[in-house]
Amino acid sequence: MLQYGQKSFLIVDDFTDFRTSTRSMLRELGVRDVDTADSGEQALRMCAQKRYDFILQDFHLGDGKKNGQQVLEDLLLDKLISHECVFIMVTAESSQSIVLSAIEHEPDAYLTKPFNRLGLAQRLEKLVQRKTLLKPILQALDRGRPAEVLAACAELCKQDPRFAPLCLRYRADALRDLNRFDDLEKFLTNILASRPQPWVYAALGSLMHKRGQYEQAQGVYEQALKAFPIMPGLYDGLAEVLVAKGDNKRAQHMLEEAVRLSPLAVRRQAALGKLALDNEDYEGASKAYRHAVSQGQSSRYKSAESNLGLVQALMNKNAGNGLDARTRVEINTVLSEVAKENTEDQGLQVRARLMKAASLQQAGDAETAAKLTEQAMQRLDKMDQFFSVDAALTVARQLKELGQESAGTSILKGCVETYGDDPKVMQSVAKVTDDPSVLGAVTEAVDLNRQGVRSYQGGQLNEALEMFRKALSLQPKNISIALNTAQALLRIGGESPSESLMQECRNCLNRVAGIPASDNRFDRYRKLHVRVFGA
Amino acid sequence: MSRDEQGLDFSTVIASTVHDMKNSLSALIQAHDQWLARLPEQSRSGSEQGVMEHEFRHLNGMLVQLLGLYKLGINQLPICPDYHELEDFVEAQLAAQQEVIRHRDVLATWRIDTESPLGFFDRELVASVVANVLTNAIRYAGHTLLISVEEEGEQLVISVNDDGAGYPQRMIERQQDYVQGIDQQSGSTGLGLYFAARIAALHERNGVRGRIEIANGGALGGGLFRLYLP
Repeated sequence: MLQYGQKSFLIVDDFTDFRTSTRSMLRELGVRDVDTADSGEQALRMCAQKRYDFILQDFHLGDGKKNGQQVLEDLLLDKLISHECVFIMVTAESSQSIVLSAIEHEPDAYLTKPFNRLGLAQRLEKLVQRKTLLKPILQALDRGRPAEVLAACAELCKQDPRFAPLCLRYRADALRDLNRFDDLEKFLTNILASRPQPWVYAALGSLMHKRGQYEQAQGVYEQALKAFPIMPGLYDGLAEVLVAKGDNKRAQHMLEEAVRLSPLAVRRQAALGKLALDNEDYEGASKAYRHAVSQGQSSRYKSAESNLGLVQALMNKNAGNGLDARTRVEINTVLSEVAKENTEDQGLQVRARLMKAASLQQAGDAETAAKLTEQAMQRLDKMDQFFSVDAALTVARQLKELGQESAGTSILKGCVETYGDDPKVMQSVAKVTDDPSVLGAVTEAVDLNRQGVRSYQGGQLNEALEMFRKALSLQPKNISIALNTAQALLRIGGESPSESLMQECRNCLNRVAGIPASDNRFDRYRKLHVRVFGA
Repeated sequence: MSRDEQGLDFSTVIASTVHDMKNSLSALIQAHDQWLARLPEQSRSGSEQGVMEHEFRHLNGMLVQLLGLYKLGINQLPICPDYHELEDFVEAQLAAQQEVIRHRDVLATWRIDTESPLGFFDRELVASVVANVLTNAIRYAGHTLLISVEEEGEQLVISVNDDGAGYPQRMIERQQDYVQGIDQQSGSTGLGLYFAARIAALHERNGVRGRIEIANGGALGGGLFRLYLP
């Protein structure tokens, strides 16, 4: 039998009886260091204080509380446990329904209640053996070095090729993190040819999606759903591809299917709400957003966007009919939550107030609506952060409806300046206005930017820089152009860029410092920022 | 309003009740174990104890099966196959039944005779089948039972063999009927075979589906249950 005397254990369960009986089983196995927690929240706090070697986590910790899967996600994403820690999910009935939601982060093992001391000892011993076998891989994972993970996998497969299948997932993740996409595709395709698993399909589908190969990605997911029709994660992937292809109706249908299988998923409910809202299914949108808001209370994926989305859906559902008392109470509750919990976020403060004003107007209280709009506009003047495209369009539309047309137009102009190089954004803007001073503002700058990109790719860096500079002088807050200019400057500056060049870089980045974290260029912005400002 | 709309969906009612029953039973089993641990040595054994242990496992197995059948019925029993260490899997199945095995004084052994230490299957689903078969085998075994794992061509075969009187001849002859769910009068054993066959068939590779087989004989001469996984 293994020696557990030096090992630390954490038992997480909301039932005292269960904690006591598990603790006494562990004591009989020679364990001395046992802590207990009665909720996921407490477990997270304890793991932040102390490194545990073993965690026995009950899955269902009561309604409205974090469940075991959420605790595991938080522990891993916040790096509160090492990959060497043995994490066992304890379940009341079979783990099937949990497996459904655990395509990304899996526990080391499931243990079904009731279990006895021998059963527990047997699982622990085997898991320790496996962790020992995989130790070099797990340590490389803790260091966050995918290249070392690959090397460790190769070493293990050489030592004992019979255990190679245990490395498959580590290797796939490492290839993905190293951006070795061609190798990854070959690797995943080979696995699918012999032993298909849901995660392999999901990884291949998302790879194709990332590369813009939407047709192939769709094919992968459809094939996957034939083999594994009850895996919600695969519906999520397919829905994302369909959105990219512009087929929002079918995407919504896919997410409805996924939600039916596994309703406890904040991000899925929020995504469904957004699609339903776009598809003008306001009943469906309110329902999904309502779930996203209530489940969000205990989740790291809580988002104010769901609160705002819910209010929008409720208003649209009752368009032309005012708002009944119950709906108004709901709107008040979810909006005041946004205002209270995001005091530092100027954008959300403005949006929550305007949303409230719009709802008051719909309910027939024009006077208060006007006052609130006034307040929101004062905050808007002082705001230096950029709205995301969706947020800007909503704010502009609401301002117009609340009688502030010129403020709305200036929001649209700002949006076009920041994002106008993207034709999809221009299409969306064109849906809310036909004002030529808004729609025509970007053409020249966008042309220059495009020529600049061509020159840059052709290696004519100085020519490219000139184009970018001209474009930026026309549209100084355009994210793409500013980032392109900064990148060209750094490339020209080489190893030891001059001070004036660095200053120009800093100016470029400062202009677009309002970039929302949700923007898909945010990573690129952060990387340039680190190079230019050193942090 | 029609009668249908007013009535409850009975299968959903059963499923959610079974779910609660299973929780209840878990608490009962765990409390019972703790209570036993406090008793003096001589009061811990005895045939009543054996009956309790056995019936606990039996009840638990039936409830798991019932939930599984419900999910199969509404087409919501997902399969998520992965690589599992065979030794670990078999040991865990025996460990879960340890109390019953001890009380019945059955010698339970296992043998793994495969090239790879890993098998590819849905651990949870296959475990629920093996648990039910084991409960039966322990009940009917004389002194010994054997779990063996081997390869037959491309397939993995998990067998449970005992030294009891074996399956009734009629059951062996009619096993296809049970598997297809044709004979619904056969009680829990028949239902168990149906469930096992459905689980086996969820495992598929290149058009080949898993299956089950019952016979008498094997190394120990009694009942022999075999689960084929492609």
